[in-house]
Amino acid sequence: MLTRALYLSAIWFAISLISTLIMGSRLRRNDPTISLLWLTGVILGGNIIAIFTFGRLLEIFSLSLLAFGFGLYWMVRLNEWNAPGQVTWAMTLITTGLFIIYTFLLTAFSPLNPLSFIFALVFFFLEAITLFLALAHMHESLDVVCRIEWHRLIERPEPIPDYQPMVSLQVPAYNEPVEVVEKTLNSLAELNYPNFEVLVVDNNTPQQETWRPLEEICRKLGSRFHCLHLDQWPGYKSGALNFATTQTDPRADIIGIIDADYEVDPNFLIELVPAFADPHVAFVQTPQDYSDSKGDVFSESMYRGYKYFFEVSMPSRNERNAIIFAGTMGLIRKSVLDEIGGWDEWCITEDAEASLRILKKGYQSLYINHSYGSGMMPINFEGLKKQRFRWCFGGIQILKKHWEALMPWAHLVDPENKLTLAQRYYYLVGGLGWFSDVFNLLFAFFLVLGAVFNLFSSPVKVRPLTDTVLIIPAVFLVLHILRFIWVLRNRLRVSFDMAIATMYNFFSLGWSVTLACIQGLVQKEGVFLRTPKSMTSSKAWRAIQVTQWETAIGLICVVVGLLAFGFERNWRTFSLCLLLIWQGSLYLAAPLYSLLSLKREASLGTQVRVTEQGKPMVEQLAARWVMAFSMVLIGAFSLVRFLPSPTVLPAYARFLPVDLSPDQIIGRQPQETAIPMTPNIAPITATATLPSTASGIATVKVDSANCREKPKGNADRITILYRGQAVEILGRNDDAKNPWWYIKIPDSGGNCWLWGMTTDLTGMLENIPIIQ
Amino acid sequence: MHKNLPSKVSHLLEEAEQLVQQGEREKAYLLSLKATSFAPDDPLAWYLRSQVAPSTEEKLVCLSRVYSLNPNFPDTQGELRAAVQTILKQEPFLAYVHETDKLYQVRSGRDLLINIPKNRAFEMPYLKKTPGTARPAFQWLSIAVIGLILGGIGAVFFAPIAAFQALRLQASTPSRADRTRLLIVLVLSVIIWLAAIPISWLLLIRFYPS
Repeated sequence: MLTRALYLSAIWFAISLISTLIMGSRLRRNDPTISLLWLTGVILGGNIIAIFTFGRLLEIFSLSLLAFGFGLYWMVRLNEWNAPGQVTWAMTLITTGLFIIYTFLLTAFSPLNPLSFIFALVFFFLEAITLFLALAHMHESLDVVCRIEWHRLIERPEPIPDYQPMVSLQVPAYNEPVEVVEKTLNSLAELNYPNFEVLVVDNNTPQQETWRPLEEICRKLGSRFHCLHLDQWPGYKSGALNFATTQTDPRADIIGIIDADYEVDPNFLIELVPAFADPHVAFVQTPQDYSDSKGDVFSESMYRGYKYFFEVSMPSRNERNAIIFAGTMGLIRKSVLDEIGGWDEWCITEDAEASLRILKKGYQSLYINHSYGSGMMPINFEGLKKQRFRWCFGGIQILKKHWEALMPWAHLVDPENKLTLAQRYYYLVGGLGWFSDVFNLLFAFFLVLGAVFNLFSSPVKVRPLTDTVLIIPAVFLVLHILRFIWVLRNRLRVSFDMAIATMYNFFSLGWSVTLACIQGLVQKEGVFLRTPKSMTSSKAWRAIQVTQWETAIGLICVVVGLLAFGFERNWRTFSLCLLLIWQGSLYLAAPLYSLLSLKREASLGTQVRVTEQGKPMVEQLAARWVMAFSMVLIGAFSLVRFLPSPTVLPAYARFLPVDLSPDQIIGRQPQETAIPMTPNIAPITATATLPSTASGIATVKVDSANCREKPKGNADRITILYRGQAVEILGRNDDAKNPWWYIKIPDSGGNCWLWGMTTDLTGMLENIPIIQ
Repeated sequence: MHKNLPSKVSHLLEEAEQLVQQGEREKAYLLSLKATSFAPDDPLAWYLRSQVAPSTEEKLVCLSRVYSLNPNFPDTQGELRAAVQTILKQEPFLAYVHETDKLYQVRSGRDLLINIPKNRAFEMPYLKKTPGTARPAFQWLSIAVIGLILGGIGAVFFAPIAAFQALRLQASTPSRADRTRLLIVLVLSVIIWLAAIPISWLLLIRFYPS
């Protein structure tokens, strides 16, 4: 029943999501009647498919009632969303929940040896966390596209005449080209606001000729502009900004952070400062935008990748007062910054960390989704990779420092912690979300290992690869990819091709994110990634070299997938091959983008400057953890072979969920046919006259096969048999084209029906008596 | 303000103040020099000297000294900031020397040692945080969680140790926050232990396949 419920919910999930992809952004009403009809329509649509395929009416009816009740609950809870969003969310939750239960039962009751069971259990926990993260992504996507009512969305703060507090704009710079900083300062000089100062804070730039000209530029721009060079300063950017705060004009109420490469809109201050008239507002953030986004696929997809955060994540977070302060193009109240003790010099994403501490004190934040300035993106893929490594490393640092403040019991430990449940959720998921790429690499590793062991005819079983654990994750994967493309197209207004390119741009950074996650866990202090040094002047070779790990992982996945299918051609190895090619493509996107970024590098013609500060982490060294972990896993996997596996079906296996055969799923379940009985074989009509001796041997040729009460695909399962198990055949049904064997259950007194298509027969069909 | 000082210094300062009021800044400066040499730890002496110092550099050094001796000395912070700004207009270079939770000590481009107030709440850096008393219990709890993931048997043994630690430390923990943490460890270890029982049973039955 569980498996049927899972498939039914997966159908509901697919119908609801696909209809959301079509209608989700168009339906701009949240009428309860529409929601009710939508929910009923999805459930009925799924039920019709189920009735004509594997379903049982009573089961379908009961499950539909439960799903309907669950859908109603979410309709009430999510009354700010439209009907497609509400129904899709409810169906996603049901399917995910049922799949987790299914995989737990499969893990718990499969006949495995102890080591395989431990592996299966670890795999189960990984799967559960990954599904939780996928749910979080789904929620965020639906929240921004299917939301009808926005409570905290404002175009611009209401202008307040005569409210013009002093603003101190801080421009941190490290080793920045003078001409770039000059453009930024010139744009600030044009600001349409009467009461501000600009403090250029150059920290630790080694060459005088790089920072000295800034002094002269500030002098030319007038008394509002001040320049400061900090030498041998600890704490990197945040250390410098903390000191700069001591040098701001004492009259300044608000501090603004502007990166040295940003050209700012003249209305930046005049339009945003009124938000601070509300004393509860501690900081305001606007999107970070980029001017150099056109011209090539790499630049455009990278640009869209950045935009995703400001068009999807931030609006969703803003509804719950859970945005992050992203540094540049943001304003922060000086008194609040002083109250929290300034920027954290330990964390390399000090801006995001500060916003969490501010929200902990119960202040409000505001996100204005209007671009007020544009900066420069990394010049090539190497730069992008390093930047993502830094962001992820900082994210893990925040998680390590503040995990307790994000727990459900946080307010019990610290009554001063005023974070709401939603704020804790967003910050926790934001931190844990980085680990998706670690899990992705682990899944790729498990898939490769499984395929390799299969190639060498060494079936090391972590857990049975049932049809359901192949089909349902594939459904999840496809639907979540479609959802991702849909949200990109809707919020970023991009073509289908660009949505795919943006998605791959995200995935191509998976390896860097994985390294940063591991490094963030094992390393305390801030590091930046140092890619391998090139021994050649060829830019193309260099582009490949900086992505050598990604290339290697991608190629391994693809080659192993193709070999697995080439050696044994069936639908399982085909699925495995497809999965591995998909995984491989995610990693192979890295060298592709690296090569594509050469065009950008050539067109910008800028020298790559060292802008990272702190302890470097050589990529090869960072990868050692991954390599060591892989070796340990391979070693442990090899041990599985030496431990004895159950030779007979253990009693606990009766709790395994019944699996549906592919024919049942697509509606071609084995049916009794009216083929005339062979005249020379007398049918056995009663169990009392069953033969006691075997008339043939059936050897299971699939990973697992259900043995049922009756010779029907939807009959109750008595037990489950595994690949290679040989059983005695006592009889068969009367359909030679679709045979079912009536077998003796090994080491048990019972009998059951085993579908002939899942076995190899030893003996003559004619010699097996027919049982009716 | 002068009553706690030795009478000689007190007398010097009173005299210097009178000279400042009469516009005799040079004489007042000479007296303030004497006062700071007699009482180098007196912020008032340094403050008076800063008011009559012939150069911005000296004024800055004196104010900086005042701030280090008494961060709450009236008017010092504003004047110190103004003096630093004047110096920075001439030479925008500052090198880091050291810092406390109250001030930065920096060296200017003209080799002056300056104390600069931080004026913000002190946030203990994460890495320097002292471990709380609940830490041992949390460590055992973490081991129990790992045990749970790796087949449950570890959790069956380690969760009770975490619970025991939580109970043991409860009595000797003064802070309310740590006592709450220990209570949470206790509850979580019970939950983990309850979850570990069936999981470890599932593992153990695999040693006896028949």
